[in-house]
Amino acid sequence: MKTIVKIFLCVAMLVASLQANAQVKEFEKYADTKNVTYVFISKFMLRMAGASSAPSVPGVNTKSIMNKLNGIQIISSENKNAIARLKTDAQNMVKQGKYELLMQVDEDDQKVRIYHIESKRQSVVVMMADEGEEFTIIVFSGTFTMEDVMKMTQ
Amino acid sequence: MDELNWKELEQIPIPEGLEERLEKKIDEWERSGPSLSYGHLPLYGENHPESISLGNKPNGHPLHRGRGLGRGSLWLAAASIALVFGVGYYFLQKEETVNLAEQDTYQDPLVAQQEAEKALNLLAYNLNKGMGQMEKAKAISNRTEMTLNKQLQVLEK
Repeated sequence: MKTIVKIFLCVAMLVASLQANAQVKEFEKYADTKNVTYVFISKFMLRMAGASSAPSVPGVNTKSIMNKLNGIQIISSENKNAIARLKTDAQNMVKQGKYELLMQVDEDDQKVRIYHIESKRQSVVVMMADEGEEFTIIVFSGTFTMEDVMKMTQ
Repeated sequence: MDELNWKELEQIPIPEGLEERLEKKIDEWERSGPSLSYGHLPLYGENHPESISLGNKPNGHPLHRGRGLGRGSLWLAAASIALVFGVGYYFLQKEETVNLAEQDTYQDPLVAQQEAEKALNLLAYNLNKGMGQMEKAKAISNRTEMTLNKQLQVLEK
């Protein structure tokens, strides 16, 4: 019996170690979803880019946070059915993942929700932008703090 | 490789009388010792005069106890096999999605940088928008508080 428990523990640890990577797993399934565009920028690419980056928008300092990012996932769709599915899935994921609502900006043509979660392993900021005909989810994951995020806007 | 070894082995001369000596030795072993058996099956068959079925010697003493697979071991083996198949199946199922998702969309770091900055700028823009509204609300709140304080001061006089 002890041996079985040991085997299970070993397998669980193996699975956990394989699961731990830069991406937020909940959003990975959109990589091969029909009518959904999935973009992933890895830590490696961000570091390569970060070395030669200069602020492109005045007043926005992205360089400090760029070095702390582990990955960026961009999921977007213009298909009505896919948008409906994305919205439902995203809301469920946010609830199940115990994300906290950081900011909500509602305008006539755009509704934006920004959620965040901080853990020992990594921090995640999820931005959902609903523009009616287009729905976009941007997921930033890394070892940043909320202070780092807010610094970007100063 | 195997063919070469066989050829080499065939070329090695067999010492004279080795075959006879080996036959003699085997005959001696067969005459003196008990027959070898595996599990409960005798090596020579049940009716052979020298065969000893596992469990008891002809004189009634146990030869050795067969160490067959017990229930616990069978469960352990079944659980291990199920576990290995389960884990293998899980990873085979996930492989396609993981491969697609873990690939960098952009191979050019500059394009990746542009996209990353665009995403970060969009986040900063929306945060600024929210913060701007918060600043406005704060300013209104401060003005209301100041007016209220002034009114209170007038009333106190």
